[in-house]
Amino acid sequence: MSTREKVSDAWAMLWRRDRLSAIGLVLLAMLVLLGLFGPYLPLDDATKIAVGPRLTPPSWRFPFGTDELGRSFLPRVILGIRATFLLSASAVLITSCFGAVLGMTAGYLRGTADQLIARCADVLFAFPALLIGLLIAAVLGPGNFSAIVVIAVATLPLFVRVIRSVTLGLAGRGFIVAAEVAGASSMRIMRVHILPNVAGALVVQLTYALSVGMIIESVLSFLGLGVQPPGASLGSLLRQGSAYLTFAPWLALSSGLVLSSAIMSVNLVGDAIRDILEPLYGRPLT
Amino acid sequence: MNIGSRFRGAIAASALVGSVIGVAFTAHAADKTLVWGKPAEITGFDVHVAGTVASWEMYQMVYETLLTADENLKVQPALAESWEQTSATSYVFKLRPGAKFSNGRPVTAADVAGSLQRIKNPETASYWSAQLGTIARIETPDDQTVKVELETPHPAFLPALAHVSAAILPIQELKAGEFNPAKEMLGSGPFMVKEHKQDESWSLARNPYYWGKSLPVADELEALIIPDDSARVAALRDGRIDFTTFENPDIAKMLSSAANIAVLPLKTTNYFRIDVNALSPKSAFIDRRVRQAMNLALDRDAINNLVFAGTTSVDYPVPAAFGKSACKATPSYALPRDQRLEKAKALLKEAGNEHPKVTLLATSSDPVFAMIAQVAQQSLADAGFDVQIQQPPMAEYLKRVFTDGDFDLAISWLAGYTDPSMVIAWWNPKFALWNQAFQQDVPALDNVLDQIKTMQDGPDRDAKLDEACKLIEDGANVLALVSKVDYVAYRSDRVKLKLPARSGSSNTFQYVAEFEPRH
Amino acid sequence: MRLFVYILSKLASAFITMLGVSALVFVSLRFIPGGYADILLGPFVTPAAREVIERRYGLDQPLWVQFVHWLVSLLHGDFGVSMVTQQPVINEFLRRAPVTLELASLAMALALAIGLPLGVMAGSSPPGLRRDGFARVIGAIGAGVPDFVLGTTLILIFSVWSLWLRVGGYTPFTQDPILNLRTMLLPAITLAVFGGALILRTSRDAVLRVMTEGYITAAVARGERPIDIVRRHVLRNASIPVVTVVTTYFGFLMGGAVVAEVLFSIPGVGLYAYNGLQNRDYAIVETSVLLAAFVFVVVNTLADVLYAIIDPRVSVDATR
Repeated sequence: MSTREKVSDAWAMLWRRDRLSAIGLVLLAMLVLLGLFGPYLPLDDATKIAVGPRLTPPSWRFPFGTDELGRSFLPRVILGIRATFLLSASAVLITSCFGAVLGMTAGYLRGTADQLIARCADVLFAFPALLIGLLIAAVLGPGNFSAIVVIAVATLPLFVRVIRSVTLGLAGRGFIVAAEVAGASSMRIMRVHILPNVAGALVVQLTYALSVGMIIESVLSFLGLGVQPPGASLGSLLRQGSAYLTFAPWLALSSGLVLSSAIMSVNLVGDAIRDILEPLYGRPLT
Repeated sequence: MNIGSRFRGAIAASALVGSVIGVAFTAHAADKTLVWGKPAEITGFDVHVAGTVASWEMYQMVYETLLTADENLKVQPALAESWEQTSATSYVFKLRPGAKFSNGRPVTAADVAGSLQRIKNPETASYWSAQLGTIARIETPDDQTVKVELETPHPAFLPALAHVSAAILPIQELKAGEFNPAKEMLGSGPFMVKEHKQDESWSLARNPYYWGKSLPVADELEALIIPDDSARVAALRDGRIDFTTFENPDIAKMLSSAANIAVLPLKTTNYFRIDVNALSPKSAFIDRRVRQAMNLALDRDAINNLVFAGTTSVDYPVPAAFGKSACKATPSYALPRDQRLEKAKALLKEAGNEHPKVTLLATSSDPVFAMIAQVAQQSLADAGFDVQIQQPPMAEYLKRVFTDGDFDLAISWLAGYTDPSMVIAWWNPKFALWNQAFQQDVPALDNVLDQIKTMQDGPDRDAKLDEACKLIEDGANVLALVSKVDYVAYRSDRVKLKLPARSGSSNTFQYVAEFEPRH
Repeated sequence: MRLFVYILSKLASAFITMLGVSALVFVSLRFIPGGYADILLGPFVTPAAREVIERRYGLDQPLWVQFVHWLVSLLHGDFGVSMVTQQPVINEFLRRAPVTLELASLAMALALAIGLPLGVMAGSSPPGLRRDGFARVIGAIGAGVPDFVLGTTLILIFSVWSLWLRVGGYTPFTQDPILNLRTMLLPAITLAVFGGALILRTSRDAVLRVMTEGYITAAVARGERPIDIVRRHVLRNASIPVVTVVTTYFGFLMGGAVVAEVLFSIPGVGLYAYNGLQNRDYAIVETSVLLAAFVFVVVNTLADVLYAIIDPRVSVDATR
C-alpha cells in the first residue's frame, strides 16, 4: 500500500472510532498551519495602525473588524495564535527534557537525590501557580522570556512527578536488574532502558502540559505581563478587547474563541494519544 | 360657625398636621446618600506625601486648603476668608471664623502654620515642598491670622496653596499624639471618614461642624472602589453608583447614548507627556539632536485622532487651557509634518545615528498610555527610529524612570495646576528633584524659569514664557503631547452635580458639598 | 495509631515546605523592581523622599535582618501591617477569608454536581452511545475555555442582559443571602466550568478502568442491576483518582480565585493579594502565600487520610 493509502486508511479508522479526537486533530492542524504560515498570507499588516476606522465590526474588508487603533484584527489574531503556540511549545519542550532527566534520576537513583528533587517539586507544586507567575514576571520584567520561564517553572513539577512514579514502577523489573548485573552504568541504564519506557507517559504529559502552558501564557498576557505591544498573543488581545467589551465585543469574542479552540484541540489530541498508548476501552455492562 | 365649616376646619387642620408629620418622616427615612464609583484605591493616608490622583480625590472630600481655584483658574477663598499681599514676599491670611475640624475644634492659625511647616520639613518627604517656595518665617499674631514671609518672591505661592497637597491638618492633635496622618484622616472639609474597607469601599458621613451653610447637601457619601472600566459602566447602568470618572473617550461616547446617564468632558490643564532620557550614556538620546529629531517626528494630531478619536487637542508645555500663545510658534508645533520629518532625518544624519534603537515605556496600569505609545512608535518609525515598547507594572516603571534612569522614552502625564508658571517650573531639575534621573540641567532655562517665578502675569511674563518654550524645545527633554480630558459620568435621574468647566488641580469634585442626591 | 503517625510526619514535612516557600517568597519580593516608596510617592519620588519612606518602613535594612525580623514577628502572631493603611493585615485576611471560602465552595459544589454524575454516567454507559460522546464534548469544552475567557464572556452577557445575576457589588451572605448569591454565582460558574470538566474526565476514566475489572463481569453475570453495580462496586473503586483530581482542582481554585475576584470585583483574599503585589505591600503578599501554602497542605493531608479510609490497602508507610 502506498503511503497515501495508508494515511487515508488510518484517518478513516480514526474518524469511525473516535470522531471527537478526529475533529480535534483537524482543528489543531489548522491552527498550527495558520500560526506557521499565517504571516505570509495576503492580509493587512498586523501592526500597522489606522488601516481602517477604529472599532468597526466584522465586514468583508476586515473579517474580524478593527481594533481601537484602527488595525485589522484578523492578522493580529493570527499573530496571536503564532505567539501563543510558539511560546508554550518551546517552554514545554525545554521543561519536558529537564523534567524527564530529573524524574528519572529521582526515580531510579532514589536516596538523597530523590528526596531533594521530590521535595523541590513539592515546594513548587505547593505554590499557587498564579502567584509564582506574577513573582517571576515581576522579577524578570514582562516579555517573552519571562513567559517561557513561568510556563517552564509551573509545568516542571508535573513532569518530574509523573516520570518519577513511572520510573519507580520500572525499577524492579527484570531487564533493569539484568542490565545492572551486567555492570551497565546508571546513566546508560537510564538512557537506554528507562527512557524508552517512560516515553509514552512523557508524550501524554507533554500534550497536557502544552494546554496548561497555553493557559498560563494567556493569563500572564491577560494581566499585561506577557507579550508586549504591538506584538500580540491571544491573551493580550483578549485583555485589550475586554476594555471595549460592551461596544466592540467582536475583539474579545474572536480572540477568546480562537484561544479556547486551540486549547480544546490540544486536549482532544492529547486524549487520543493517551487512549492509543494506554488503551482502556472496557467491555460493556450488558 | 356651623358644623360643616367646623368639620372642614378639622379636616384641614389634621391634613396639615398629617403632611407635616409625613414630610418629617420622609425627610428622615430617606437619608441622602451619594454613591461614587472610585476608579482606584488610595496609596497612602498622609495628605502631604501621597503623589497620586487616586489619593488626592479622596483627600478632597475630607481635607481643605487655604485657597481654592475657580473655573478661570483664579485663586479664591477657602479656609482663608481673605488675604493680602503686603509685599513681594509677604502674605497675610485671615482665617474663616466658622471653620472647624470634624471633631469640633476650630481651625486656628497654629494649624495653618504647623501644616505649612510640616510640608516644608524634609522628614515628611512631601513633594509639594518645592512648590511653596522658600518660607523664611511664619507668624501667628492671633488665632485667625497667619503671616507668611518668603525669602524670595514666588507668585506661584498662592496657586500652590490651592492644591490638596497643601491641606491644613489638625496640628494640635498631631502634636498630642492623638492623630496619626499616616493612619487616619481628620479634616475640616464637608465629609469625614466613618469606615474604610481597603480596596473595597469608603463610608463618609457629613462633617457636622462644616462651615458651609446647610452644606453638604448629602448626608452620606459612599465610595465603591471599582478599577475596571466595564464594571463601572455596569454599576452606573445598574444604579449601584451615582457618579464616576472615565479616561477612555470611547466609553464616554458609548455612555452618552444612554437615556439617564450624562457625560461631561472636563477640560483640565493637565496633559500627557513624553519623558526623554538625556542623561544616560546608554541612551541614544544623550545627543540633543536625536532628541530634537524625535520631537519633530512625533505626530501629536495622530495621537489625538487615533487614541482619543479627536476629542482632545494638542497641548504645549505651557498648557493651552491658560490661553497663552507661548510654545505655539516653535518648529515642532508650527511646521507641517512632512517638513518636520525632513528636518528630523537631517538631524539624525548629522548626529551619525540614522536608525536609533530605543525603548519606550508605558506602564501597564493605564491602557491609554499603551495606545499613545503605539501611535508614537509608528510616527517615530517614519523618521527612522526603531522603537520597542515595554509595559512594566506601575512600581517597576516608577523605579526605572525616576530612580534608576533606566529607559529611553516614557509616556506619562503632568498636572498643569492653576498658573502657567507652575508646571514649567518642573523643567529645572534642581527645583523639581523628581526628574533628576533623566532631566538635563540647562542653566539658561533655569534662569528664565526663576525670572518667571518672580513676575506677575502680564506681557513681560508672556515674553519670558516664549523664551522658556524655545529653550524647552531646544532641549527636547520632556515634551507635551495632548491635553488630558477627564470624563465625568453620572445618573442624571439620581443626582444633580455641580462641576467646574475647567479644573486645574485635579479637583474634579471641588463642589462635592453641593451635589444633590435626588432619591 | 499508624494513621496518627502518618499524619504527623506529613505535617512535619509540610511545615518544612512552608518554611521554604515563605523564604522564597520573601526574598523574591524584594527583588521585584519598585517598592512601596515608589507607589506612595508616585511620579514625584525624589531620592531624599524615597530614603525617608524606606527608613520609616524598615525597608533599608539588609535582607537577612528583614527576614529574621519577619520570622520573629510571625512567631508572636504578628503578620505585619499593610503599608497603605498601617493596619494589621491579619484582620483584613480574617475579614476576607469567608468570601473566598464561599466562592471556592460554590465552585467546588457546582463542579462536583455537574462533573461527577456526568462522568460516572459516561463511563458506565456502553461505548458508542450518545451519552458518552456528549459528556466528552462537554468535558473538552470545559477544559478548553480558560477561566478568564469564560469570565469575560459572562460579564459581557450579564451586563447587557441582567437576567437576575449581577456583575459586581458584593454583599455579605449574612446581610442578604439572595443578593449575595446573585453576585457570587457568576464568578463561581466561571471557576466551576474547568473543575467540572476535570472531574468529568477523571471520573469517566476511572469508571472506565473499573469496568474492565473482573469483579464487574462477575457482577453482571450474577444478574445485578446496573444501578446496584455502579453503587456498590464502581463508586468506591473509582473514587481514589477522583479524590486526587479534586485536590488538584482545589489547588487550581486558589489561583483561579484571584482571577475571578479581580474580574468580578469580589472582595476576597485573592483580590487583596493581587492588589498587595501591585502596591508592593510586602506583608500582604507574604501572608497570603503562607496562608495558601497552609491551606494546600491541609487539603493534601485530608486527601491522604481519605485515601487511607477509602482503600485500606493504601500503605500508610511514612517512607513512601
